[in-house]
Amino acid sequence: MNDPLLKMRGVHVSLPLRDGAVAALNDVSLTVGPGEVLGLVGESGGGKSMLARAVAGLLPDGASLSGALDVDGRNIMESAEEDLTLHRGGGAAMCFQNPRSALSPTRRVGRQLVDRLVRWRGMAPDAAWPAARERLAEVGIREPERRLRAFPHELSGGMCQRVMIALALACKPRILLADEPTTGLDPTLTKDILGLFRDAAEREGCAVIIISHDVASIAAACDRIAVLYAGTLVEDGPARAVVDAPLHPYTRSLVAAVPHIDGRLSIPLAGSMPRLGAPPAACPFADRCVLVEERCRNELPDFAAMADGRAVRCFHAGEVGSSVATETAAHHGVAGGDGAPIVELVDVEVRYASQFGRRGPRTLRGVSMTLAPRETLGVVGESGCGKSTLARVIMGLVRPTAGKAVVGGVDYRKAGRGDIRRLRRDIQMVFQDPVDSLNPRMTVERNVRDPLRNAREPLADIDERIDRVLGQMGLGSEFRRLRPHRLSGGQAQRVALARALVVEPRVIVFDEPTSALDVTVQAQILDLLRDLMAHGTRSYVFVSHDLATVRGLCDRVAVLYLGRIVEQGPADEVLMRPRHPYTRALVDAVPTLSGRRTAAATRLKRDLDEAWEAAGCALEPRCPHAEAACGEPQTLRDLTPGHQVACWKAEHISAEALND
Amino acid sequence: MLAPVLVGVSIFCFLLIRVLPGDPVLAIVPETATPEDIERTRARYGLDRPLPEQYGAYMAGVIRGDFGDSIRTGRPVVEQIGERLPRTLELVALGFLLSLGASIVLGLFAALHAGRLGDHVSRVTALVANSLPEFWLGLVLILVFFAILDIAPGPTGRIATGIDYEIITGSLIVDSIFTGNPRALVSALHHLVLPVLTLAVIVVAPMMRSVRASALEVMRSDSYRCALAHGLGAKTLLFGYVLRETMVRVPVLAALVLGNLIGGSVLVETVFSWQGFGQWALRGLLLRDYPVIQAYVLVTASFYVVAFLVADIVQAALDPRIRV
Repeated sequence: MNDPLLKMRGVHVSLPLRDGAVAALNDVSLTVGPGEVLGLVGESGGGKSMLARAVAGLLPDGASLSGALDVDGRNIMESAEEDLTLHRGGGAAMCFQNPRSALSPTRRVGRQLVDRLVRWRGMAPDAAWPAARERLAEVGIREPERRLRAFPHELSGGMCQRVMIALALACKPRILLADEPTTGLDPTLTKDILGLFRDAAEREGCAVIIISHDVASIAAACDRIAVLYAGTLVEDGPARAVVDAPLHPYTRSLVAAVPHIDGRLSIPLAGSMPRLGAPPAACPFADRCVLVEERCRNELPDFAAMADGRAVRCFHAGEVGSSVATETAAHHGVAGGDGAPIVELVDVEVRYASQFGRRGPRTLRGVSMTLAPRETLGVVGESGCGKSTLARVIMGLVRPTAGKAVVGGVDYRKAGRGDIRRLRRDIQMVFQDPVDSLNPRMTVERNVRDPLRNAREPLADIDERIDRVLGQMGLGSEFRRLRPHRLSGGQAQRVALARALVVEPRVIVFDEPTSALDVTVQAQILDLLRDLMAHGTRSYVFVSHDLATVRGLCDRVAVLYLGRIVEQGPADEVLMRPRHPYTRALVDAVPTLSGRRTAAATRLKRDLDEAWEAAGCALEPRCPHAEAACGEPQTLRDLTPGHQVACWKAEHISAEALND
Repeated sequence: MLAPVLVGVSIFCFLLIRVLPGDPVLAIVPETATPEDIERTRARYGLDRPLPEQYGAYMAGVIRGDFGDSIRTGRPVVEQIGERLPRTLELVALGFLLSLGASIVLGLFAALHAGRLGDHVSRVTALVANSLPEFWLGLVLILVFFAILDIAPGPTGRIATGIDYEIITGSLIVDSIFTGNPRALVSALHHLVLPVLTLAVIVVAPMMRSVRASALEVMRSDSYRCALAHGLGAKTLLFGYVLRETMVRVPVLAALVLGNLIGGSVLVETVFSWQGFGQWALRGLLLRDYPVIQAYVLVTASFYVVAFLVADIVQAALDPRIRV
């Protein structure tokens, strides 16, 4: 085997903070060879980013580093500051998390790319421009000529991520680091982006490290996976083996926390990661481990090498077989559908006014749907398909420019201020970013109390009600006095849930409530939601691009594409036997731990932002099954009772898929 | 934008100066004047009519470009503005440009050396300069550079006596260049050095602090960290990734400073016998010369509006995210 490009031996990183030192990395030993893709996973705060920053030579001021860290045979820890500037970029280049803010907002994309080509590939500025165009094309950007002249804010999130990768690769790095490159992207894009890292490893022969909290989303793209817990490496091995048969209980929990498209429930891992002040003397995972015994609390297990190039830090490595629980969602069928629908949309159209008052493009066009009491409806689709707008229409935050929206018997077109205020008691919303959605100046208690004041509730039992909903969300009374910035993402989302629940609404609308959270925290929240949905009498709308979560929670699913519903029906039906090519593509793009892919997986031909307005079927420009007859507009038609699809070819495509 | 602001400002100012104690008529009539004389004079300037009527007549004039006649001198206000405003604009424009340039350089320097000696020295110096009274600073500069070193002209106006020059715009620099008069140009520039320096020193501190804060914010941003992590050279980083983003936040404060300068140049003009716009307005104010004060306020207000308009345009040009 080739010499490894990255070689870490016993690396420790410690950060001095105001309230004491933090041992951010403890005795980390890791190698990555040329052309190899390593996935680095674990919960937030586990030291993943710190490891990346150590490798990139970007540790924060005051951090102390010890051990051996060799990049391409050179020890960068002994390097002088001048050598470090050579290392940054050329030695290790980082793709930053949230590429939109990591690209310079006032410099054209092409210039940023040329800067790097000139610096690292010794090109003359003139010669670098054609090269820059090729590099953009390589990362899958169509019309690179036009995009070179674009500013970052003119690009979509997916395109920014592609540009970010092109920038990092332009540095000709020996090691390419990617910090959460796909978090927040929808599954179709995630797959493409991860493919780019594979390509880079093969084409440029560099070592690639992909950091993610979601082991399932990156597993298929990685050769090896390393798991960090509290700054300590707990498992390292071939990707397939680590995912299929995790040896460490923590890895097992991470894998089990991933919701599954086949309906298997995610299993939350209780507790939270400890913050270590010094390198651990005992197993850091002991407090959350199901296999814990006396020895785990007193001794730190070695990072022991196992067969097949695996290594694990646990006394009980592999003791419990690879069996992860296989309980499947059981609540389906609870849904009534009895009684008048609580939400009814008829031919809703929304156009946001553009600047100067001109009417912008239609975000929703002709959307009709109903929500029955006690029903949970999932709304899925790629980013930019109108999911959030639909949620806002239901909330009455956006008024439809045409069509009718009736919620709880109130028609938004005719509703006065008083009606809307009364409606706020019946319908509540939970947002994607929990910390942002709470008022930072108010304590948790005030945040939860506010909707009650707005609803003009009697004051008498308010305290008890607040206590009750906080308790229901697993938050003790010690949280009441805290302000949102002191909360973790998961705790903040619990508070947001409590705030929605406190007025006892009849409908709760969730807009991507878990996509900003770690997988393990996500599993905890989903557990809470499942409890709520199983026992309550409420209806829910669950907007998400995470199909596996939707499958586990929802009774019915509506699939949105460019502001239209292209398929809707029972969740099991739609997600297990998708009929519309768009739904098929979404389902096929969902990362699966087993890596199983049907041979006839549907792949869309273009990114969403490169699709154009088609006269007939909206998907036609991207659809792999498109033919001349698709030039006709498609409307929803019943396939089976309750299952509608807007594609004339639905039956043919299913037959084709079966024949393959 | 300009029109509603000016109407509001003019009404407010019109009422306010008439509420102030003091009477312009008493200031100009001789001490021996009889009450009838006083009334006659009052009527001559239309000051005996009801306020709304006075205001209407005044604004009707303003729309035609007639700001009335000065009560004290009897000369048309427009004529006097045309004579004095260019002098002050010349002074203020140069002072502003000098302080803008200095604050960008110093602010970036301070940000690049944040927390180190250079940063502290430049910040403290700017703060001290900012807290000096401008008339005092002007006098000290005159003392040092004229009285002791004798390398600057004395505070005797805008140009050395005995130099012929032709007035076209009222700005000596512009006029002497137009008429090809190098002697006048050199002398005018020479006389400008100390007052411009005084103005610039006074206002450099707030702008420099804003540039420094803005640059530090940019240097803490993800985008800068990314450029740094990709190992770009120091020059590329500064000019490609820091400068423009830093400048995005500067125009609004610069417009405020510029607006303040036009109104705040009175003391510097007085110290250097500049005979400028501010000095003229101050004398008008002391004698309750209503048309002069009103004209001054209107001109200053339009200046602010235009300065902020320009600031918005500059900001939009600097920041691609803003679409005009």
